[in-house]
Amino acid sequence: MASVITKNRALSRRLFLRGVTALTQAPVWIGLPPLAAMFNSAGTAYAAGKAGPNQIPNRFVLWFNGNGITERYWIPEETGANYTMTPCLSPLARFRDDIHIVTGLDNPAARLPGPGNDHHRSMSALMTGTQFTGRGAGGPSIDHVIAARTNADTRFRSLQIGVSQESFGESIQRNMSWAGLDRALPPEMIPAKLFDRLFGARDASWIDRKKSVLDAVQQDAGVLRKELGREDQTRLDEHLSSIRDVERAIASLPPQYHKVEAPDFDGDMKDWPRIARLQSELLVHALASGQTRVASYMLTKCQGLTRFPWLGYTAARHHDYTHRDGKAPGADGPDGQRIMRDICRWHVEEFAWLLGRMKGTPEGEGNLLDHTSLVFVHEHAEANDHKNNGLSLIVAGHAGGLQTGLHTRTTGTTADLYLSVANHAMDAKLTSFPSASKEISGLFRT
Amino acid sequence: MGHRAILQFVITLAVAAQLPAVDATYFASTVYPVLQKAGCQGCHNPDGVAAGTRMHFPDPGASAATLENFGLSLKMLTDPADPGKSLLLNKPTRRIAHAGGKRIAPDSPEEGILRNWVDYLATTKAVAKKEVEVSVAPIGPVLRRLTHLQYNNTVRDLLGDEGNLAEQFPPEDFVNGFKNQYQSQSISPLLAEAYGVAAEKLAQNAFRGGDSRGLIPCKQADPGCAEKFVQSFGQKAFRRPLLKEETDRYVRLLHTQKQFLAGAQVVLEAMLQSPAFLLRTDTAQSKAYERASRLSYFLWNTMPDAALFRSASAGELDTPQGVEAAAKRMLKDPKAHATVDDFVAQWLRFDRLLNTIKDRATFPQYGPELALAMTEEARRLVGDLVWNNGNFMKIYSADYAFLNSGLAEMYKVKAPADDFGKVTLPPDSERSGILGQGLFLGLTSKPTETSPTARGLFVREQFLCQDVPQPPPGVSTNLPVLSKEKPQTNRERLATHLSNESCASCHTLIDPIGFGFEKFDAIGQRREKQKLTFRPARGEDKDKSKKTETVMLALDTSGYVAGIRGSEFSAPSALGKVLASSEQCQECVVKQLFRYESGRKETPADRPIIKESFEEFKRSGFRFQDLMVSVIKLSIFTPVRMESHGLSDN
Repeated sequence: MASVITKNRALSRRLFLRGVTALTQAPVWIGLPPLAAMFNSAGTAYAAGKAGPNQIPNRFVLWFNGNGITERYWIPEETGANYTMTPCLSPLARFRDDIHIVTGLDNPAARLPGPGNDHHRSMSALMTGTQFTGRGAGGPSIDHVIAARTNADTRFRSLQIGVSQESFGESIQRNMSWAGLDRALPPEMIPAKLFDRLFGARDASWIDRKKSVLDAVQQDAGVLRKELGREDQTRLDEHLSSIRDVERAIASLPPQYHKVEAPDFDGDMKDWPRIARLQSELLVHALASGQTRVASYMLTKCQGLTRFPWLGYTAARHHDYTHRDGKAPGADGPDGQRIMRDICRWHVEEFAWLLGRMKGTPEGEGNLLDHTSLVFVHEHAEANDHKNNGLSLIVAGHAGGLQTGLHTRTTGTTADLYLSVANHAMDAKLTSFPSASKEISGLFRT
Repeated sequence: MGHRAILQFVITLAVAAQLPAVDATYFASTVYPVLQKAGCQGCHNPDGVAAGTRMHFPDPGASAATLENFGLSLKMLTDPADPGKSLLLNKPTRRIAHAGGKRIAPDSPEEGILRNWVDYLATTKAVAKKEVEVSVAPIGPVLRRLTHLQYNNTVRDLLGDEGNLAEQFPPEDFVNGFKNQYQSQSISPLLAEAYGVAAEKLAQNAFRGGDSRGLIPCKQADPGCAEKFVQSFGQKAFRRPLLKEETDRYVRLLHTQKQFLAGAQVVLEAMLQSPAFLLRTDTAQSKAYERASRLSYFLWNTMPDAALFRSASAGELDTPQGVEAAAKRMLKDPKAHATVDDFVAQWLRFDRLLNTIKDRATFPQYGPELALAMTEEARRLVGDLVWNNGNFMKIYSADYAFLNSGLAEMYKVKAPADDFGKVTLPPDSERSGILGQGLFLGLTSKPTETSPTARGLFVREQFLCQDVPQPPPGVSTNLPVLSKEKPQTNRERLATHLSNESCASCHTLIDPIGFGFEKFDAIGQRREKQKLTFRPARGEDKDKSKKTETVMLALDTSGYVAGIRGSEFSAPSALGKVLASSEQCQECVVKQLFRYESGRKETPADRPIIKESFEEFKRSGFRFQDLMVSVIKLSIFTPVRMESHGLSDN
């Protein structure tokens, strides 16, 4: 990695943004630091993980959008290499050779009888392969499992990034990443705060002080621990583990971080396309600079209530539009299908934008997308019916030798697909994951 | 139920069909899975819609012995003389009326299994024990994190900092209907970082311009001042005296900095992200200081004041009387008002209304201002009843309201002289307490139309504390599409629910409640007819032959609450009287407050507390302040005990 992004050919901000301009008509100008700032004087990447200085580690991104899709505008008719891009997938046309469309997957744990509505049940099952508890997910989500298995010594074990905040407010609706049963890992939804996490470091004396403070805090926990029952001890240990994560993020700070200029984040905080691109930009930086290897990206919420003024749909909210029962005026019948088509396409557009940014970020002999595996999931198959079988996912990026340029209609579960990606792209050596029984064949070379 | 369990069930079923060897263990092994699959426990549980019937399922996770006993207790639902006439057979197959619909197909293998058990019960001499152990272990001490509101209030009281830094934390999620439930309070790395950032800022602010807030109780140069400071500040921050090892550790931390104030700042920064500050334990056997905190975080949503700390150290909180006296004193403080506001905002889901969207063409007057006024109206009504010691059940039946001019215009009454002054509602308005308010009527509606289903569900879940089973997975929830050719009222469209067997079993419990509110539209305006608007489709609006057409439909607003006798109503005012005098509804207020106080949903082990609090609530004439005192006092002092369940006595 480091041998290519050298001191001589430092990646400039302008170079990043040229990629942006090529992709969209309206480039997003954000004052991000040049990538070179994230490398030390020897030109080796910080916290590059266990892969060693000469080997570029693979990354994993789990991407989610709320509610379901409209299948007729989303799923390609033909399978194999010569499938026709559908209206919803059209933003991905340029990335045909970087993606693999996988349809026909099942999310069986969503059908287990238990508490919650269809959205709650789908969400827990989709992210974790386990049943909704009535409060949250029943176990750790796949991104968390992969982060734990790869156990890279990066600044952040994993990052959770969000965009739209509009939802019904339940825990299962607002979070896609879970550390375990009922333990949400909330996404950072404010770009300025995400920037601060990634680049808002201080000087050496600040780092020293932080360390001694966190040390004291951990010792306090030891005192409290003695007084607690087993369940509470576990919960306290979670707190402690979070504190250690903070400590790690502080301790592995490159010294030049304070040189980074803060970008200007002012603007409409509910302009989701704008926020999405800021967040994607920051995600690319986080991955490229080795600050983390695993991330989740929640564009819209489970059973989300996002409004879409930029698409011209102001009468109702995302979830209202998915149902033909008149929640959204004028959304019954074909009109509603077309609205859903446009909404789905927007989700894919933002995904494509991220792919473009990754592809435009040189790394080693190729680019960041060559060393990343992204999985795009949505809450349901056909949105109106809350359908949990026949889900259509997109796997993107070349990590692990993804077979690209294909549409595969398959059987198996979303968890089977996770298992395949975890093992091939991330070398997670996962032997099982709830709701998974086998890897999906034909997805990766070898 | 995992795959394995399903498989087990299928195997059991297959074996049972061949070998009906019925003995005492047959119920747990064979009959119970059939009933479970039929979903009986969804309604037949102490918090279910069928709580009022004679059949109460044991709690999930009940032991085999408990199940066996439950199986025997079903004898009451059999007819030993003519087993074929047993309710246990004829209700679930709906050969006779069953509000829960047809759960088991008549003459199916499943009914065969049930029949085997009915026959066994007719001959066996075994009798169900009345007293059985509560199968769910009581929840022990629970570690609770300060809510964001509590964090802001606590640093305000501790440091005089009113920066509301918690607004920068990752937002809190709803679980069990509240944002303070312990199962949603795990501290993620993101939150831990946010605590670190906030602590750093607070510590900096605290010593900006020297010790301007008087946190150092001694001359900095004095020997022992570091220790005095650590002890005095630590006692407030940790809400208990510091242990010696803690004091020593923080004094050492202070001395890592060259200057005293810099050292004090580091101490603050550490204490403000310590688990001892951010977390607290609630336990029935809690020590005096934990009790003080529990009282304080319940009634004030902030740390104890000096008087409460004194009560704790003087042992005054060791008795129910002492706790009661402290609670009564605390209720006189304005901080208690903010707590009631917080409870109400969550219980009545203000966030849902503030997040909602209404069709601009249909409701041009609706906007954020009107939505805020609606939440304020609800807040005022509750505040009026709580702080003037009124009968709290009047929140459902009050014939007055607190309105601003916008709401008065919408309700078509004369605006009060002052904003949110009290207005008596004319009887023909048929509004009644929160049931007639824009808040409830609006938050349960769609952008243009009402949703009788959502209104019914809200009444069941928020006002009666009943869990209504969700639609089975994969069921289409579509209603027929409206057309000019076949305009329908909401009641007519929802008839699909009631005529379809698999929908009807639950929707008969929900929709008819909503029908009684149909005189009020999607933002809570009175209407006599339902107005349907058909606009040209997109792209057709320029075609002049296509016009917007409206149809007015007459409304049938008769409704009822299945399970509550004499509950037929056709306007909120009538339902308000029913709810105000319904024990289920009264007890639900107790349960909601219990959830808010304890940070969790009640379990069977908590029934003694709920029951006793409810009795005291009733005796007080439903005074909410008294209920707050009862709930906290009983939660602290009620030991867990055995109780009976299975069949109820009546």
